[in-house]
Amino acid sequence: MNRNLRQLLVSAGGIAAALALWQFIATGPMAGGPLPPVSATLAELAGLLADGGFWTALADTLVIALAGLAAAAVAGVVLGVLIGSFEPVRYATLAVLEFLKPIPPIVILPLVVLVFGPTTEMSWFLVFFGCVLPIIVQTVAGVHDADPVTLDTARSYGLGRTEILARVTLPSAMPFIGTAMRVSAPAALVITVVAGLLGGGPGLGRSIYQAQAGGDYPTLYAYVVVLGLLGLAFQGASQLAERRLLHWHASYREVLTP
Amino acid sequence: MNRKLINWGLGIGTPLLLVAAWWAVSQNSTNTFFPPLATILERFQALWLFDHFGSDVLLSLRNLALGYALATVIGVGLGFVTALVPVVRWALDPLIHFFRGIPPVALVPIFISLIGFGIEMRLVSIILAALFPTLIATVDGIRSVDPSLKDVSAVYRLTRTEKLAQVYLPAAGPQIAAGMQVSLQVAFIVMIASEMLGASQGIGAMTLLAQQSFMTSDMWAGILLLGVIGFGANMLFELAKNKVLAWYVGSRRLAKS
Repeated sequence: MNRNLRQLLVSAGGIAAALALWQFIATGPMAGGPLPPVSATLAELAGLLADGGFWTALADTLVIALAGLAAAAVAGVVLGVLIGSFEPVRYATLAVLEFLKPIPPIVILPLVVLVFGPTTEMSWFLVFFGCVLPIIVQTVAGVHDADPVTLDTARSYGLGRTEILARVTLPSAMPFIGTAMRVSAPAALVITVVAGLLGGGPGLGRSIYQAQAGGDYPTLYAYVVVLGLLGLAFQGASQLAERRLLHWHASYREVLTP
Repeated sequence: MNRKLINWGLGIGTPLLLVAAWWAVSQNSTNTFFPPLATILERFQALWLFDHFGSDVLLSLRNLALGYALATVIGVGLGFVTALVPVVRWALDPLIHFFRGIPPVALVPIFISLIGFGIEMRLVSIILAALFPTLIATVDGIRSVDPSLKDVSAVYRLTRTEKLAQVYLPAAGPQIAAGMQVSLQVAFIVMIASEMLGASQGIGAMTLLAQQSFMTSDMWAGILLLGVIGFGANMLFELAKNKVLAWYVGSRRLAKS
Protein backbone atom coordinates (compact mmCIF):
# COMPACT_ATOMS: atom_id res chain seq x y z
CA MET A 1 0.00 0.00 0.00
CA ASN A 2 1.07 3.53 -0.68
CA ARG A 3 2.89 5.05 2.29
CA ASN A 4 1.05 8.38 2.14
CA LEU A 5 -2.29 6.65 1.97
CA ARG A 6 -1.45 4.48 4.95
CA GLN A 7 -0.35 7.54 6.91
CA LEU A 8 -3.63 9.26 6.06
CA LEU A 9 -5.63 6.22 7.12
CA VAL A 10 -3.79 5.95 10.45
CA SER A 11 -4.38 9.67 11.09
CA ALA A 12 -8.06 9.33 10.34
CA GLY A 13 -8.15 6.24 12.54
CA GLY A 14 -6.57 8.19 15.40
CA ILE A 15 -9.20 10.91 15.18
CA ALA A 16 -12.01 8.36 14.87
CA ALA A 17 -10.70 6.38 17.86
CA ALA A 18 -10.49 9.51 20.01
CA LEU A 19 -14.04 10.50 19.08
CA ALA A 20 -15.32 6.96 19.67
CA LEU A 21 -13.64 6.84 23.09
CA TRP A 22 -15.22 10.19 23.98
CA GLN A 23 -18.64 9.00 22.82
CA PHE A 24 -18.27 5.71 24.72
CA ILE A 25 -17.27 7.36 28.01
CA ALA A 26 -19.98 9.99 27.67
CA THR A 27 -22.80 7.54 26.97
CA GLY A 28 -21.50 4.61 29.02
CA PRO A 29 -19.70 5.09 32.35
CA MET A 30 -20.41 8.81 32.65
CA ALA A 31 -23.86 9.02 31.07
CA GLY A 32 -25.90 11.97 32.32
CA GLY A 33 -22.77 13.50 33.91
CA PRO A 34 -20.89 16.65 32.97
CA LEU A 35 -19.32 15.06 29.87
CA PRO A 36 -21.65 15.52 26.90
CA PRO A 37 -21.57 12.97 24.07
CA VAL A 38 -19.90 13.88 20.78
CA SER A 39 -23.25 13.94 19.04
CA ALA A 40 -24.70 16.49 21.47
CA THR A 41 -21.58 18.65 21.19
CA LEU A 42 -21.67 18.60 17.40
CA ALA A 43 -25.40 19.39 17.39
CA GLU A 44 -24.73 22.30 19.74
CA LEU A 45 -21.89 23.45 17.50
CA ALA A 46 -24.25 23.49 14.52
CA GLY A 47 -26.76 25.38 16.65
CA LEU A 48 -24.12 27.98 17.54
CA LEU A 49 -23.28 28.56 13.90
CA ALA A 50 -26.90 29.54 13.26
CA ASP A 51 -26.96 31.83 16.31
CA GLY A 52 -26.35 35.56 15.96
CA GLY A 53 -24.95 35.90 19.49
CA PHE A 54 -22.15 33.47 18.66
CA TRP A 55 -21.05 35.49 15.65
CA THR A 56 -21.08 38.70 17.72
CA ALA A 57 -18.89 37.06 20.36
CA LEU A 58 -16.56 35.72 17.67
CA ALA A 59 -16.31 39.17 16.05
CA ASP A 60 -15.65 40.79 19.45
CA THR A 61 -12.87 38.31 20.15
CA LEU A 62 -11.23 38.83 16.76
CA VAL A 63 -11.47 42.63 16.90
CA ILE A 64 -10.01 42.83 20.42
CA ALA A 65 -7.18 40.40 19.66
CA LEU A 66 -6.21 42.02 16.36
CA ALA A 67 -6.57 45.63 17.57
CA GLY A 68 -4.49 44.90 20.68
CA LEU A 69 -1.89 43.10 18.58
CA ALA A 70 -1.70 45.92 16.02
CA ALA A 71 -1.28 48.58 18.70
CA ALA A 72 1.34 46.47 20.46
CA ALA A 73 3.21 45.96 17.17
CA VAL A 74 3.38 49.68 16.38
CA ALA A 75 4.27 50.75 19.92
CA GLY A 76 6.66 47.84 20.39
CA VAL A 77 8.64 48.46 17.19
CA VAL A 78 8.85 52.23 17.75
CA LEU A 79 9.94 51.86 21.36
CA GLY A 80 12.26 49.00 20.48
CA VAL A 81 14.02 51.02 17.77
CA LEU A 82 14.37 54.00 20.12
CA ILE A 83 15.71 51.88 22.97
CA GLY A 84 18.00 49.88 20.70
CA SER A 85 19.45 52.94 18.97
CA PHE A 86 20.80 54.60 22.12
CA GLU A 87 23.22 52.55 24.15
CA PRO A 88 22.57 54.30 27.53
CA VAL A 89 18.80 53.88 27.12
CA ARG A 90 19.28 50.21 26.33
CA TYR A 91 21.24 49.65 29.51
CA ALA A 92 18.81 51.71 31.55
CA THR A 93 15.79 49.68 30.41
CA LEU A 94 17.45 46.25 30.32
CA ALA A 95 16.75 45.23 33.91
CA VAL A 96 13.21 46.63 33.85
CA LEU A 97 12.30 44.81 30.62
CA GLU A 98 13.92 41.58 31.75
CA PHE A 99 11.95 41.73 34.97
CA LEU A 100 8.61 42.45 33.31
CA LYS A 101 8.99 40.05 30.36
CA PRO A 102 8.36 36.71 32.12
CA ILE A 103 5.32 38.09 33.98
CA PRO A 104 2.16 37.06 32.09
CA PRO A 105 -0.69 39.59 31.70
CA ILE A 106 -3.00 37.42 33.83
CA VAL A 107 -1.03 38.69 36.85
CA ILE A 108 -2.24 42.27 36.38
CA LEU A 109 -5.74 41.20 35.32
CA PRO A 110 -7.33 42.01 38.73
CA LEU A 111 -5.94 45.56 38.60
CA VAL A 112 -6.97 46.12 34.98
CA VAL A 113 -10.50 44.85 35.68
CA LEU A 114 -10.70 47.13 38.69
CA VAL A 115 -9.71 50.18 36.64
CA PHE A 116 -11.60 49.51 33.39
CA GLY A 117 -14.41 47.20 34.49
CA PRO A 118 -15.49 44.22 32.36
CA THR A 119 -15.25 46.12 29.08
CA THR A 120 -13.71 45.94 25.62
CA GLU A 121 -11.04 48.44 26.72
CA MET A 122 -10.05 46.13 29.57
CA SER A 123 -9.50 43.16 27.24
CA TRP A 124 -7.77 45.35 24.72
CA PHE A 125 -5.37 46.75 27.30
CA LEU A 126 -4.48 43.27 28.54
CA VAL A 127 -3.73 42.10 25.01
CA PHE A 128 -1.65 45.20 24.41
CA PHE A 129 0.29 44.75 27.63
CA GLY A 130 0.87 41.06 26.99
CA CYS A 131 2.12 41.51 23.42
CA VAL A 132 4.07 44.76 23.60
CA LEU A 133 6.89 43.60 25.90
CA PRO A 134 8.09 40.64 23.81
CA ILE A 135 7.94 42.82 20.69
CA ILE A 136 10.01 45.57 22.36
CA VAL A 137 12.60 43.11 23.64
CA GLN A 138 12.91 41.37 20.26
CA THR A 139 13.13 44.66 18.36
CA VAL A 140 15.89 45.90 20.66
CA ALA A 141 17.75 42.63 20.09
CA GLY A 142 17.24 42.97 16.33
CA VAL A 143 18.46 46.57 16.20
CA HIS A 144 21.45 45.61 18.28
CA ASP A 145 22.20 42.70 15.95
CA ALA A 146 22.69 44.91 12.87
CA ASP A 147 25.98 44.12 11.16
CA PRO A 148 28.56 46.75 12.23
CA VAL A 149 30.35 46.54 8.88
CA THR A 150 27.12 47.35 7.02
CA LEU A 151 26.46 50.20 9.40
CA ASP A 152 29.97 51.61 8.87
CA THR A 153 29.63 51.22 5.12
CA ALA A 154 26.34 53.10 5.14
CA ARG A 155 27.91 55.81 7.23
CA SER A 156 30.90 56.21 4.93
CA TYR A 157 28.55 56.48 1.95
CA GLY A 158 27.16 59.49 3.76
CA LEU A 159 23.68 58.10 4.49
CA GLY A 160 21.74 60.09 7.06
CA ARG A 161 20.40 58.75 10.32
CA THR A 162 16.88 58.11 9.03
CA GLU A 163 18.20 56.49 5.90
CA ILE A 164 20.43 54.13 7.86
CA LEU A 165 17.46 53.32 10.05
CA ALA A 166 15.21 52.57 7.08
CA ARG A 167 17.74 50.72 4.94
CA VAL A 168 20.03 48.92 7.36
CA THR A 169 18.76 48.77 10.92
CA LEU A 170 15.11 47.99 10.31
CA PRO A 171 15.64 45.35 7.61
CA SER A 172 18.17 43.55 9.77
CA ALA A 173 15.79 43.67 12.74
CA MET A 174 12.89 42.33 10.68
CA PRO A 175 13.38 38.60 11.42
CA PHE A 176 13.46 39.36 15.15
CA ILE A 177 10.26 41.39 14.86
CA GLY A 178 8.74 38.65 12.70
CA THR A 179 9.47 36.01 15.33
CA ALA A 180 7.97 38.21 18.03
CA MET A 181 4.84 38.75 15.93
CA ARG A 182 4.47 35.04 15.18
CA VAL A 183 4.58 34.28 18.90
CA SER A 184 2.39 37.24 19.83
CA ALA A 185 -0.49 36.57 17.42
CA PRO A 186 -1.70 33.32 19.05
CA ALA A 187 -0.92 34.87 22.46
CA ALA A 188 -3.24 37.79 21.63
CA LEU A 189 -6.09 35.33 21.08
CA VAL A 190 -5.31 33.49 24.31
CA ILE A 191 -5.21 36.73 26.31
CA THR A 192 -8.54 37.85 24.83
CA VAL A 193 -10.10 34.58 25.95
CA VAL A 194 -8.52 34.89 29.42
CA ALA A 195 -9.80 38.45 29.75
CA GLY A 196 -13.31 37.26 28.89
CA LEU A 197 -13.18 34.15 31.04
CA LEU A 198 -11.71 35.70 34.20
CA GLY A 199 -12.41 39.39 33.72
CA GLY A 200 -15.82 39.28 32.05
CA GLY A 201 -14.70 41.12 28.90
CA PRO A 202 -16.81 40.59 25.78
CA GLY A 203 -16.13 37.69 23.42
CA LEU A 204 -15.84 33.92 23.43
CA GLY A 205 -14.14 33.82 26.83
CA ARG A 206 -17.23 35.25 28.47
CA SER A 207 -19.43 32.82 26.52
CA ILE A 208 -17.37 29.92 27.90
CA TYR A 209 -17.70 31.26 31.43
CA GLN A 210 -21.46 31.60 31.07
CA ALA A 211 -21.80 28.08 29.65
CA GLN A 212 -19.76 26.64 32.53
CA ALA A 213 -21.53 28.66 35.23
CA GLY A 214 -24.92 27.67 33.78
CA GLY A 215 -23.99 24.00 33.62
CA ASP A 216 -24.63 23.99 29.87
CA TYR A 217 -21.96 21.42 29.06
CA PRO A 218 -22.60 20.75 25.35
CA THR A 219 -22.28 24.50 24.71
CA LEU A 220 -19.10 24.65 26.80
CA TYR A 221 -17.49 21.89 24.72
CA ALA A 222 -18.72 23.41 21.48
CA TYR A 223 -17.06 26.72 22.38
CA VAL A 224 -13.81 24.98 23.27
CA VAL A 225 -13.86 23.21 19.90
CA VAL A 226 -14.41 26.57 18.19
CA LEU A 227 -11.49 28.06 20.13
CA GLY A 228 -9.26 25.16 19.16
CA LEU A 229 -9.99 25.75 15.48
CA LEU A 230 -9.58 29.50 15.90
CA GLY A 231 -6.24 28.97 17.66
CA LEU A 232 -5.03 26.79 14.81
CA ALA A 233 -6.13 29.44 12.31
CA PHE A 234 -4.19 32.13 14.20
CA GLN A 235 -1.06 29.99 14.36
CA GLY A 236 -1.28 29.05 10.72
CA ALA A 237 -1.95 32.61 9.56
CA SER A 238 0.91 34.10 11.55
CA GLN A 239 3.35 31.45 10.32
CA LEU A 240 2.27 31.99 6.74
CA ALA A 241 2.47 35.78 7.07
CA GLU A 242 5.94 35.58 8.55
CA ARG A 243 7.19 33.38 5.74
CA ARG A 244 5.50 35.47 3.03
CA LEU A 245 6.69 38.82 4.34
CA LEU A 246 10.25 37.82 5.20
CA HIS A 247 11.14 35.43 2.39
CA TRP A 248 13.79 37.89 1.15
CA HIS A 249 15.80 37.79 4.35
CA ALA A 250 18.93 35.66 4.49
CA SER A 251 17.73 33.65 7.49
CA TYR A 252 14.56 32.61 5.65
CA ARG A 253 16.00 31.74 2.28
CA GLU A 254 15.73 28.04 1.65
CA VAL A 255 19.01 26.26 1.92
CA LEU A 256 19.43 23.82 -0.92
CA THR A 257 20.14 20.40 0.46
CA PRO A 258 21.07 17.46 -1.70
CA MET B 1 36.02 51.33 30.75
CA ASN B 2 34.45 54.48 32.10
CA ARG B 3 31.62 54.09 29.64
CA LYS B 4 30.99 50.54 30.77
CA LEU B 5 30.79 51.72 34.36
CA ILE B 6 28.18 54.34 33.42
CA ASN B 7 26.14 51.70 31.57
CA TRP B 8 26.23 49.40 34.55
CA GLY B 9 25.19 52.25 36.80
CA LEU B 10 22.28 53.00 34.48
CA GLY B 11 21.23 49.35 34.47
CA ILE B 12 21.12 49.11 38.24
CA GLY B 13 20.07 52.69 38.89
CA THR B 14 16.99 52.92 36.68
CA PRO B 15 14.94 50.19 38.40
CA LEU B 16 15.82 51.66 41.80
CA LEU B 17 14.88 55.11 40.54
CA LEU B 18 11.54 53.81 39.23
CA VAL B 19 10.69 52.17 42.55
CA ALA B 20 11.68 55.35 44.37
CA ALA B 21 9.51 57.38 42.01
CA TRP B 22 6.58 55.01 42.61
CA TRP B 23 7.09 55.40 46.34
CA ALA B 24 7.27 59.20 46.17
CA VAL B 25 4.38 59.75 43.77
CA SER B 26 2.04 57.32 45.52
CA GLN B 27 2.97 58.48 49.02
CA ASN B 28 -0.06 60.65 49.61
CA SER B 29 -2.26 58.98 47.04
CA THR B 30 -5.94 58.84 47.91
CA ASN B 31 -6.83 57.16 44.61
CA THR B 32 -8.52 53.89 45.53
CA PHE B 33 -6.93 52.06 42.59
CA PHE B 34 -3.37 53.13 43.32
CA PRO B 35 -2.68 53.09 47.06
CA PRO B 36 0.68 54.25 48.47
CA LEU B 37 3.50 51.78 47.91
CA ALA B 38 4.22 51.86 51.64
CA THR B 39 0.72 50.51 52.35
CA ILE B 40 1.09 47.81 49.68
CA LEU B 41 4.35 46.59 51.17
CA GLU B 42 2.82 46.65 54.62
CA ARG B 43 -0.04 44.47 53.40
CA PHE B 44 2.44 42.28 51.51
CA GLN B 45 4.26 41.59 54.73
CA ALA B 46 1.05 41.10 56.70
CA LEU B 47 -0.47 38.71 54.16
CA TRP B 48 2.36 36.64 52.79
CA LEU B 49 5.06 36.76 55.50
CA PHE B 50 3.99 34.40 56.93
CA ASP B 51 0.30 34.48 57.71
CA HIS B 52 -0.94 32.87 54.50
CA PHE B 53 2.39 31.43 53.52
CA GLY B 54 1.66 27.85 54.49
CA SER B 55 -2.01 27.79 53.53
CA ASP B 56 -1.87 29.62 50.20
CA VAL B 57 1.60 30.42 48.90
CA LEU B 58 3.01 26.95 49.47
CA LEU B 59 -0.16 25.39 48.09
CA SER B 60 0.11 27.35 44.85
CA LEU B 61 3.82 26.71 44.51
CA ARG B 62 3.41 23.00 45.16
CA ASN B 63 0.72 22.74 42.49
CA LEU B 64 2.95 24.62 40.08
CA ALA B 65 6.06 22.55 40.79
CA LEU B 66 4.32 19.18 40.81
CA GLY B 67 2.17 19.91 37.76
CA TYR B 68 5.09 21.29 35.81
CA ALA B 69 7.38 18.38 36.71
CA LEU B 70 4.81 15.79 35.66
CA ALA B 71 4.02 17.72 32.47
CA THR B 72 7.67 17.78 31.39
CA VAL B 73 8.25 14.10 32.16
CA ILE B 74 5.11 13.05 30.27
CA GLY B 75 5.80 15.57 27.50
CA VAL B 76 9.36 14.43 26.84
CA GLY B 77 8.45 10.75 27.15
CA LEU B 78 5.44 10.97 24.88
CA GLY B 79 7.44 13.17 22.54
CA PHE B 80 10.11 10.50 22.15
CA VAL B 81 7.54 7.80 21.40
CA THR B 82 5.65 10.05 19.01
CA ALA B 83 8.76 11.08 17.14
CA LEU B 84 10.36 7.65 16.85
CA VAL B 85 7.36 5.40 16.16
CA PRO B 86 5.77 6.41 12.86
CA VAL B 87 2.39 4.78 13.51
CA VAL B 88 2.01 6.64 16.80
CA ARG B 89 3.05 9.86 15.12
CA TRP B 90 0.52 9.49 12.32
CA ALA B 91 -2.25 8.65 14.74
CA LEU B 92 -1.50 11.40 17.28
CA ASP B 93 -0.35 14.25 15.06
CA PRO B 94 -3.79 15.70 14.19
CA LEU B 95 -4.96 15.39 17.80
CA ILE B 96 -1.83 17.06 19.18
CA HIS B 97 -2.21 19.93 16.76
CA PHE B 98 -5.86 20.39 17.61
CA PHE B 99 -5.19 20.48 21.36
CA ARG B 100 -2.33 22.85 20.83
CA GLY B 101 -4.73 25.34 19.25
CA ILE B 102 -6.98 25.50 22.30
CA PRO B 103 -6.03 28.35 24.63
CA PRO B 104 -4.83 26.48 27.75
CA VAL B 105 -6.99 28.52 30.10
CA ALA B 106 -10.13 27.53 28.16
CA LEU B 107 -9.58 23.95 29.34
CA VAL B 108 -9.95 24.96 32.98
CA PRO B 109 -13.78 25.24 32.87
CA ILE B 110 -13.91 21.74 31.39
CA PHE B 111 -11.84 20.29 34.20
CA ILE B 112 -13.95 22.16 36.74
CA SER B 113 -17.06 20.54 35.29
CA LEU B 114 -15.41 17.11 35.29
CA ILE B 115 -13.48 17.05 38.57
CA GLY B 116 -14.85 19.98 40.56
CA PHE B 117 -12.97 22.84 42.22
CA GLY B 118 -10.45 20.83 44.25
CA ILE B 119 -6.70 20.61 44.12
CA GLU B 120 -6.87 17.66 41.69
CA MET B 121 -8.58 19.90 39.13
CA ARG B 122 -5.86 22.52 39.43
CA LEU B 123 -3.14 19.93 39.13
CA VAL B 124 -4.71 18.20 36.11
CA SER B 125 -5.29 21.56 34.41
CA ILE B 126 -1.65 22.54 34.89
CA ILE B 127 -0.34 19.18 33.66
CA LEU B 128 -2.48 19.03 30.54
CA ALA B 129 -1.96 22.64 29.58
CA ALA B 130 1.81 22.60 30.15
CA LEU B 131 2.22 19.24 28.41
CA PHE B 132 1.81 20.40 24.82
CA PRO B 133 4.64 22.93 24.36
CA THR B 134 7.19 20.40 25.67
CA LEU B 135 5.65 17.53 23.71
CA ILE B 136 5.64 19.42 20.41
CA ALA B 137 9.16 20.78 20.94
CA THR B 138 10.43 17.27 21.73
CA VAL B 139 8.87 15.80 18.59
CA ASP B 140 10.27 18.63 16.44
CA GLY B 141 13.67 18.39 18.11
CA ILE B 142 14.04 14.67 17.55
CA ARG B 143 12.65 14.83 14.03
CA SER B 144 15.30 17.39 13.10
CA VAL B 145 18.25 15.42 14.47
CA ASP B 146 21.01 15.46 11.90
CA PRO B 147 20.72 12.28 9.75
CA SER B 148 24.47 11.81 9.81
CA LEU B 149 24.28 11.50 13.60
CA LYS B 150 21.81 8.65 13.12
CA ASP B 151 24.10 7.01 10.57
CA VAL B 152 27.11 7.32 12.87
CA SER B 153 25.23 5.79 15.79
CA ALA B 154 24.12 2.96 13.51
CA VAL B 155 27.71 2.39 12.37
CA TYR B 156 28.92 2.28 15.96
CA ARG B 157 26.13 -0.21 16.69
CA LEU B 158 24.84 1.75 19.66
CA THR B 159 22.10 -0.01 21.53
CA ARG B 160 18.65 1.50 21.63
CA THR B 161 19.14 2.98 25.12
CA GLU B 162 22.52 4.40 24.21
CA LYS B 163 21.06 5.98 21.12
CA LEU B 164 18.19 7.54 23.05
CA ALA B 165 20.23 8.83 25.97
CA GLN B 166 23.46 9.79 24.24
CA VAL B 167 22.47 10.84 20.75
CA TYR B 168 18.83 11.88 20.50
CA LEU B 169 18.42 13.52 23.90
CA PRO B 170 21.46 15.84 23.66
CA ALA B 171 20.81 16.61 19.98
CA ALA B 172 17.21 17.60 20.70
CA GLY B 173 18.16 19.20 24.04
CA PRO B 174 18.14 22.87 23.05
CA GLN B 175 14.74 22.56 21.40
CA ILE B 176 13.30 20.57 24.31
CA ALA B 177 14.58 23.25 26.68
CA ALA B 178 12.86 25.97 24.63
CA GLY B 179 9.61 24.02 24.79
CA MET B 180 10.01 23.48 28.53
CA GLN B 181 10.42 27.21 29.03
CA VAL B 182 7.11 27.87 27.27
CA SER B 183 5.56 25.08 29.35
CA LEU B 184 6.72 26.81 32.52
CA GLN B 185 4.99 30.02 31.46
CA VAL B 186 1.80 28.13 30.60
CA ALA B 187 1.90 26.22 33.90
CA PHE B 188 2.22 29.49 35.78
CA ILE B 189 -0.69 31.08 33.88
CA VAL B 190 -2.93 28.05 34.39
CA MET B 191 -1.98 27.91 38.07
CA ILE B 192 -3.32 31.46 38.49
CA ALA B 193 -6.35 30.91 36.25
CA SER B 194 -7.39 27.67 37.97
CA GLU B 195 -7.29 29.49 41.31
CA MET B 196 -9.15 32.51 40.02
CA LEU B 197 -12.00 30.38 38.65
CA GLY B 198 -13.78 29.45 41.82
CA ALA B 199 -11.09 28.16 44.16
CA SER B 200 -10.97 29.69 47.63
CA GLN B 201 -7.31 28.99 48.35
CA GLY B 202 -4.11 29.97 46.63
CA ILE B 203 -2.46 33.23 45.66
CA GLY B 204 -4.62 33.77 42.58
CA ALA B 205 -7.85 33.19 44.51
CA MET B 206 -6.80 35.59 47.27
CA THR B 207 -5.77 38.27 44.79
CA LEU B 208 -9.05 38.09 42.89
CA LEU B 209 -11.04 38.00 46.12
CA ALA B 210 -9.24 41.14 47.31
CA GLN B 211 -10.08 42.82 44.02
CA GLN B 212 -13.75 41.87 44.24
CA SER B 213 -14.02 43.20 47.78
CA PHE B 214 -12.15 46.42 46.83
CA MET B 215 -9.22 45.75 49.15
CA THR B 216 -6.87 47.35 46.68
CA SER B 217 -3.71 47.13 48.77
CA ASP B 218 -4.22 43.39 49.26
CA MET B 219 -4.76 42.99 45.52
CA TRP B 220 -1.55 44.89 44.79
CA ALA B 221 0.28 42.71 47.32
CA GLY B 222 -0.97 39.63 45.44
CA ILE B 223 0.08 41.07 42.07
CA LEU B 224 3.54 41.83 43.44
CA LEU B 225 3.94 38.32 44.80
CA LEU B 226 2.75 36.72 41.54
CA GLY B 227 5.10 38.98 39.58
CA VAL B 228 8.05 37.97 41.75
CA ILE B 229 7.15 34.27 41.40
CA GLY B 230 6.81 34.57 37.61
CA PHE B 231 10.16 36.29 37.36
CA GLY B 232 11.85 33.97 39.84
CA ALA B 233 10.62 30.77 38.19
CA ASN B 234 11.88 31.94 34.82
CA MET B 235 15.23 32.94 36.28
CA LEU B 236 15.69 29.56 37.97
CA PHE B 237 14.88 27.89 34.66
CA GLU B 238 17.43 30.03 32.81
CA LEU B 239 20.11 29.19 35.36
CA ALA B 240 19.39 25.46 35.14
CA LYS B 241 19.23 25.60 31.34
CA ASN B 242 22.57 27.37 31.05
CA LYS B 243 24.12 24.78 33.31
CA VAL B 244 22.67 21.72 31.55
CA LEU B 245 23.16 23.11 28.06
CA ALA B 246 26.53 24.74 28.75
CA TRP B 247 28.08 22.88 25.80
CA TYR B 248 25.42 24.28 23.49
CA VAL B 249 25.65 27.86 24.74
CA GLY B 250 29.43 27.68 24.36
CA SER B 251 29.28 26.29 20.83
CA ARG B 252 26.78 28.98 19.82
CA ARG B 253 29.06 31.68 21.15
CA LEU B 254 31.96 30.23 19.21
CA ALA B 255 29.93 30.01 16.02
CA LYS B 256 28.88 33.64 16.37
CA SER B 257 32.29 35.20 16.91
